[in-house]
Amino acid sequence: MVSLAPEPIEMTKPTKNNQPPRILLAKIGLDGHDRGVKVLARSFRDAGIEVIYTGLWQTCEATMYAALQEDVDVVGVSLLSAAHLTVMPELLRLRKQLDIEHIPIILGGIVPKEDHAALADMGVAAVFNPGSSVDDIVGKVKQLASMHEPVKLEDVVDGYAKRKQNALAKLITSVQRGESVEGFEPPAGDAVVIGVTGAPGVGKSSFIGKLGEELVSRGKRVAVLAIDPSSPITGGALLGDRLRMMSASPEREFFVRSLASGGAAGGLADVCPDVLKLLTGFGFDYILVETVGAGQGDVGIRELASHTLLVLMPDSGDAVQFSKAGIMEIATCFVLNKCDLSGADATQSQLIGAVGDARPIFKTSTLKTEGIDKVADFIVTLS
Amino acid sequence: MSIEPGVGKSKRSADDANGKSFVGPEDLRGYDPASALSVPGSFPFTRGVHRTMYRDKLWTMRQFAGFGSAADTNERFKYLLAHGTTGLSTAFDLPTLMGRDSDDKLALGEVGRCGVAVSTLSDMHVLYDGINLGEVSTSMTINAPAAIVLAFYICVAKKQGVPLDQLRGTLQNDILKEFHAQNEYVFPPEPSVKLVIDTIEYCTQHMPLWNTVSVSGYHIREAGASAAEELAFTIADGMAYTQLSIDRGLDVDAFAPRLSFFFDVHNDFFEEIAKLRASRRMWAHIMRDRFKAKHERSWKLRMHCQTAGVTLTEQQPMNNVMRVAYQAMAAVLGGTQSLHTNSMDETLALPTEEAAKVALRTQQIIAHETNVPQVADPLGGSYFIEKMTDEIEAKAYAIIDQIDAMGGVLPAIDRGYFRRTIAESAQAEQRRIDGGEQKIVGVTDFVEDGTHDMEMLKISQDTEDKQVSKLKDIKAKRDVAKHQAALTRLREDANQDKNVMPALVEAAEADATVGEMMDTMKEVFGAYGGGPEW
Repeated sequence: MVSLAPEPIEMTKPTKNNQPPRILLAKIGLDGHDRGVKVLARSFRDAGIEVIYTGLWQTCEATMYAALQEDVDVVGVSLLSAAHLTVMPELLRLRKQLDIEHIPIILGGIVPKEDHAALADMGVAAVFNPGSSVDDIVGKVKQLASMHEPVKLEDVVDGYAKRKQNALAKLITSVQRGESVEGFEPPAGDAVVIGVTGAPGVGKSSFIGKLGEELVSRGKRVAVLAIDPSSPITGGALLGDRLRMMSASPEREFFVRSLASGGAAGGLADVCPDVLKLLTGFGFDYILVETVGAGQGDVGIRELASHTLLVLMPDSGDAVQFSKAGIMEIATCFVLNKCDLSGADATQSQLIGAVGDARPIFKTSTLKTEGIDKVADFIVTLS
Repeated sequence: MSIEPGVGKSKRSADDANGKSFVGPEDLRGYDPASALSVPGSFPFTRGVHRTMYRDKLWTMRQFAGFGSAADTNERFKYLLAHGTTGLSTAFDLPTLMGRDSDDKLALGEVGRCGVAVSTLSDMHVLYDGINLGEVSTSMTINAPAAIVLAFYICVAKKQGVPLDQLRGTLQNDILKEFHAQNEYVFPPEPSVKLVIDTIEYCTQHMPLWNTVSVSGYHIREAGASAAEELAFTIADGMAYTQLSIDRGLDVDAFAPRLSFFFDVHNDFFEEIAKLRASRRMWAHIMRDRFKAKHERSWKLRMHCQTAGVTLTEQQPMNNVMRVAYQAMAAVLGGTQSLHTNSMDETLALPTEEAAKVALRTQQIIAHETNVPQVADPLGGSYFIEKMTDEIEAKAYAIIDQIDAMGGVLPAIDRGYFRRTIAESAQAEQRRIDGGEQKIVGVTDFVEDGTHDMEMLKISQDTEDKQVSKLKDIKAKRDVAKHQAALTRLREDANQDKNVMPALVEAAEADATVGEMMDTMKEVFGAYGGGPEW
């Protein structure tokens, strides 16, 4: 049952690149009830939607900055803590302050009926209570996404030149959707593009989050392109990297954008060079590109990056696999992450053997924030 | 609507007992009642942990409650004790559950909302003021900061002059299910579990009557797991605590009798009864055969049950009274030692007093009007129930084998196994509901227009303001040198991998706050951002 009756559903306007709708799902506050948000995340993916989930314990501020950087079609908020009348006005205030009022916000959770009118009045696009059908929610998201207007160049060029992140975010959306940006050429910058690769589960995203923070604290401007796989069947995707990179103070020069590997007709290779151009022209010093996992869909990225960090973890046996795949050869340096786990020293010895030259091997623990500074010391020497 | 291969959670497959229109002796071929059932009170305890079950002692009707300030809850405790309650159950507010003080930035709007706010020993003194801890049993539902709250409780007892070996109660203290489902973790899995083992060790030495861990399937099920998954994950967690306690050098028979369990009781009536029966048989075998426990007390799985909050609907909320009643009956037929029945309005807000009373009356009607408690395990020997019990047990063992193959619970957490499995099951259930295969009265079928006119509980912001100012006051007045020395010792003990309980007691007495102790341990243990989400 849907509290606000769904309007007739328009089909999503096909974009030139068949870019699927993108939604950011957020849980705000200390409440950990995430069954609903996870069921929806999966259901959205299965309905051909790209889902960016920002994980537990987010603040309103971090959520809206994430929405700004991702320039999603819809923000979905899950609240089961009865804090909706505190949280939603704050989100809407931030949305206005950040000048991203084109992004609709919908709410799901335990919301008394008597509060629905007040929420609609303040500008919440839809409220879904327990018992709502997934089809209705998916329909509403697709309908809202279809109303996301193409970017008008004249509205963003100025902002981009003034280094406004919302202008950058909109331009990236244009590129993703295959909209024409003719006549717009970003200035040449001198960003160092670094690919970060490694097997699933080694903690690439957490590592990039910590490394990014470290570089930012040294006065560097950092952008991250986090790439996750798309479902080959539905075209939807669960983009989960960002939740490891949610910054404590999101106003800083740390820009994160999630991309689905299959979001564009020609695959990533078509979109990535243009996105990197936009990021470089914007003035970032370092662009970290997190790829899906070694050997999977990250072809092309490596050609765009001037350096590659290979992330491994203790006892993973990855070194052997990577040797076979030839990835060991192209790595600029190696990061042995999760060194809080046992077996780190033994793996380090094996790795030294497998590398066989003077390329640096760093031991890090993102859990304990150890060794990240050493990697940053090395990164700042790269050009 | 198709279900993904491997998700296969549709319960009505043709091979299951549930897929048949009747079950007979041919379905129980080779079945030996003597070994599979025995009699109530005897190994493997399929039929219950006591010989006479409820005829001699009814289950404990333990209604979980807590709200506002320590003083508010203390007043409620005294009211309950005056009306014959002997067991107190303490619900903490969300900031406390997350190990954060009432003045923490993320605590805004949450102080005293869903339980009592406890930031310092002073709050704990107020909470149990005028209550003799030597005479009551206290259940405390808290996990990540459980060791700290236990330290507070010990300090209150010491001040009252009650010897620690007389303290009776239960600490939920089950951090593993937080990683699987409830998400109230703070430290990474390994040090989190180390803290649990610290409390087990401390209690085994000093507080032998205290139930150290309530190994919980409830939250796992509520998050979307199937009945078999709830059973398997809970037993696997219990095995993990047992193994780690043995690794610490404890004698299994010294601590095992003080592990207890906590299950969800969902809608599928017979499946739930089968689950509870199977849990006892599994645990008895695992403790005797795998962990070589010698005492019968170590083999017995004692459980608390709660009706399934997730089955309550906002639509036509009076229907929830019936759901709770059937679930409560299943818990009793399954042989629980303790039961909480949910209130009909819990999907809308915290329960009103009236709704909570109906929930309690539901248990009292089963206890005193139905005659069901007169005989132990009345369904034992039913072809259907025994087949169901065998099936769910077999499914659970197969899942435990998978977890073992991954290297145990901790490596499986690191691989995201539990969260992924639970999320897949939750989605599969949603698909069954959306596809019309699973009906919900008043939601998918028999829908009515219009809204309910149920009265709802409202909580004021007043508590938060008072609690925050009290906390400021304590911080300003405490002995700085003593406070710093205590936190330094805590840091050192944690660093040297010592049992932190003595240091926590010292820090509690030095007026260190929950948040300060958690932050100190975070410096050593690290903070956990969560495992893989899918």
